[in-house]
Amino acid sequence: MSVAIQFTLLVVLAPLLQGLMRSIRAKLQGRPGPSPFQPYRDLRKLWGKAAVLPAGSSAIAVAAPGIVFGAALTFATLVPPIGGETSLEVNAVALALLLALGRFALVLAALATRSGFAAMAASREMTFASLTEAPLILALVSVALAGQGTFARITASQAPLAGILAAGALLLVMLSETARMPVDNQETHYELTMIHEGLVLEYSGWELALLQAAAYVRQASFFILAALMLPGNGLSSVAWIVVLIAFIPLVERMYAKMRLFEVPQLFASATVLALASIGLRIAGLGAW
Amino acid sequence: MTIRILGCAALLATAGLAVAALALHGAPSVAIVPFIAPMELRLEFSSTTLAMPFLAVIALVLPAVAAWGLRRGAPGDGFRLALFAVAMIGVFLAQSVAAFFFAWEAMSLVSAFLVGAHHERRNVQRALFSYIIVSQLGALCIVVALAVLGAHAGSFRFADIARSAAGLPIGLRSAAIALALVGFGSKAGLVPLHFWLPRAHPVAPANASALLSGIMLKVAVYGLLVVGFVLAAPLPLAWGVAILVVGLLTAFTGALYAAVDSDFKRLLAYSSIENLGIIIGTLGLASVAAALGAAALSTLALVALLFHVVSHAAFKSLLFLAAGTVAEAAQTTDLEHLGGLARSLPFSAPLVLVGCCAAAALPPLTGFASEWLVFQSFIGVLAIATPLLQAVVAVAIGVLAAASGLAALAFAKLFGIAFLGEPRTTHPAARESPDASVVALAWLALACIAFGLAPAFVFGPLRSVASSLTGDTTLTVATLPMLPVTLAALPFLGAVVALFLGRRWGIRFAPTWTCGSAVTTRSQYTATAFSKPIRRIFGFVLFPERQKTSDLGASHWFPTRIRYEVTTHDVIDEGARNVAAFVQRLARRARILQAGLLRIYLVYAVVAVLVVLVVSR
Repeated sequence: MSVAIQFTLLVVLAPLLQGLMRSIRAKLQGRPGPSPFQPYRDLRKLWGKAAVLPAGSSAIAVAAPGIVFGAALTFATLVPPIGGETSLEVNAVALALLLALGRFALVLAALATRSGFAAMAASREMTFASLTEAPLILALVSVALAGQGTFARITASQAPLAGILAAGALLLVMLSETARMPVDNQETHYELTMIHEGLVLEYSGWELALLQAAAYVRQASFFILAALMLPGNGLSSVAWIVVLIAFIPLVERMYAKMRLFEVPQLFASATVLALASIGLRIAGLGAW
Repeated sequence: MTIRILGCAALLATAGLAVAALALHGAPSVAIVPFIAPMELRLEFSSTTLAMPFLAVIALVLPAVAAWGLRRGAPGDGFRLALFAVAMIGVFLAQSVAAFFFAWEAMSLVSAFLVGAHHERRNVQRALFSYIIVSQLGALCIVVALAVLGAHAGSFRFADIARSAAGLPIGLRSAAIALALVGFGSKAGLVPLHFWLPRAHPVAPANASALLSGIMLKVAVYGLLVVGFVLAAPLPLAWGVAILVVGLLTAFTGALYAAVDSDFKRLLAYSSIENLGIIIGTLGLASVAAALGAAALSTLALVALLFHVVSHAAFKSLLFLAAGTVAEAAQTTDLEHLGGLARSLPFSAPLVLVGCCAAAALPPLTGFASEWLVFQSFIGVLAIATPLLQAVVAVAIGVLAAASGLAALAFAKLFGIAFLGEPRTTHPAARESPDASVVALAWLALACIAFGLAPAFVFGPLRSVASSLTGDTTLTVATLPMLPVTLAALPFLGAVVALFLGRRWGIRFAPTWTCGSAVTTRSQYTATAFSKPIRRIFGFVLFPERQKTSDLGASHWFPTRIRYEVTTHDVIDEGARNVAAFVQRLARRARILQAGLLRIYLVYAVVAVLVVLVVSR
């Protein structure tokens, strides 16, 4: 699959991915739940509405959703395509720092609103981001190690076990990046527990639509990255994505939200997983 | 005003001196032989390839400091700073042990005057005292290290020492490297010799801090490069690993303390520690790569660290000068009392934002380009090293990543708390006018953007410098030239579109939702609150302590006033204080010998003569 096709599919199907997971989770919780296509309707509705921002907020707050959306799209273009050799010289660090760019803009926007809730969410978001930076980069480096410093031959010398460990680390990071249980709760509007929702609390209308679309695209990109790390390539990567769509809601169904200060342990485990994955490759056990 | 203009001219002349030194590269060295000259005291100066990036950094930063001083700071600062810069240029040009030591001591002495500018304050006196002690002990280590190398070579010219470097016995080599690491490390703020830095840099005037952090710390890097890659080259593998570990420990420590600090200038000082840790860790990596026989990777690591030297000089000088602007406008650098500065400093604020983004290593700014190169060199060594080293490098990458995450937090806090929202005090900052100090910030911000957008123009010259140390000329990094633009194009476009749509469709502004209560200057989040999760998560090293005192009014449930104070403990700082106290106690004991009685001194003299006679018999 070429980069362009994958990018188009990723952007178009990203809301569906979210919708599917939302309805699966609803079924698991014994609710009928919304249609898998609900995110598209939400986006269309929000896009048609005017934006309201807190009085006195600066140009940063107006521009931030655009920056976040642009960063998410760039992130999606940098994800190596499923099933293909590619000359794309993407780098683990560039991906991580790109995520940091969008986050930085959003955090500044939150602080510009003068709302205590948004600032509290900003503080937590930056805290978790600084703790997930290590496992994220290490997991990607572990994969890059197979292709000598780049993703160029991401699938060529894949090692199943090392890949699974790296994917595990990446998924734990993803729970935080996509505001999922047990790190965060996408459905809460109780001010003291929100992280990502709190960050975008003051946004509405088309600005909120941009932020949500960006979140969907980022999430879909993470799914593809994880699928590429898991054994097999081509169709089996697609199969892994399907498995993950069912698996993530199950995780969310099984766990309650962790206490804020217990979450770092989760990230510590992610770091250990990523280091173990690199360790396997170092030890030459990559053939497992 | 005349004094300001003269000071500005002096600084510009010094920048010209740096440029002239750059232009004189390759010219024969100049030797000054003092008239009672033993050859050891020969002062030799020359413009070497290795010094070029550092001289260029001086030429980059000085014009900004000069322009800033036209409007702000004390009137006479220009001359002191020019003298300081001349001394640093002297260090970069020195080609003999005596010349190096002379210039180094001149630099330390002048910088001590800069740190002690407000010497009437108690905290300045303490900071100055610890700075002088540490820098003199460091200088002692450096001179002994250079003397050891010179004694082995039989000459105190750098060229002769470098020629005989290959034949150094391991014991001498290790001794020289260890002493140099302590000496230069204490100047660079390497853990555990960093405790003086977060005290000394913030108390200096802003323009002095800009030079102290922007350039003087790099003099230490230059010194380590000279010893490690020229005078005692090649560094043994074990020393390379040791430098790498110490560097990364420093990077993490600096980032952690920067994340939890709530003073504008002290946060910047801690961030300097972090960046110097990254630079010196990469220096260790470069020597590890060289020891493993990977010359191209060693070159890459050297380019990365030199690029980060340039980056850090640009953004940190910018931010320190901005701290001076903030201090003059708001009369404080305490983040708890700042806020909403974007409105009172409309010209400086966007430039500070550029500096903060560069410090957080965000694309497409210079901090991103250099940090990306640093990561690339670590990943490169990870791919080729022996298993045990690979494990070390893998952990190192994790530490680097965590440090960069914490730095992003620190700078989001710095800009978000100080410049956005509402002022946190009742007397808001004075509104600035577009003057020379804004031009100074703009010059450095421009450098941050230009080096980030066109990294190839920095990469090329630095590669030839690094090649001169490693002898490898094959290095190319194909992705670098376009990477920052590729990453930042869509976000930039997104920002423009969002601003355009905001204007086109209109944005309604409504009061902030805070559960029905009004937004007041005190209801906003504070810097301490912002960093609370980090303080708590890393409580096992930060030892946070909370003190809450409430003034109870009529009812227990409605206190009239709550005072809330949070402190963290710096273990190393306290250790240093204990050592200092011990030394002082010892000194007090030793004072008994100095009784002030002539008879006792005569006894000492007689005993000394007897000892000399017995020993020399």
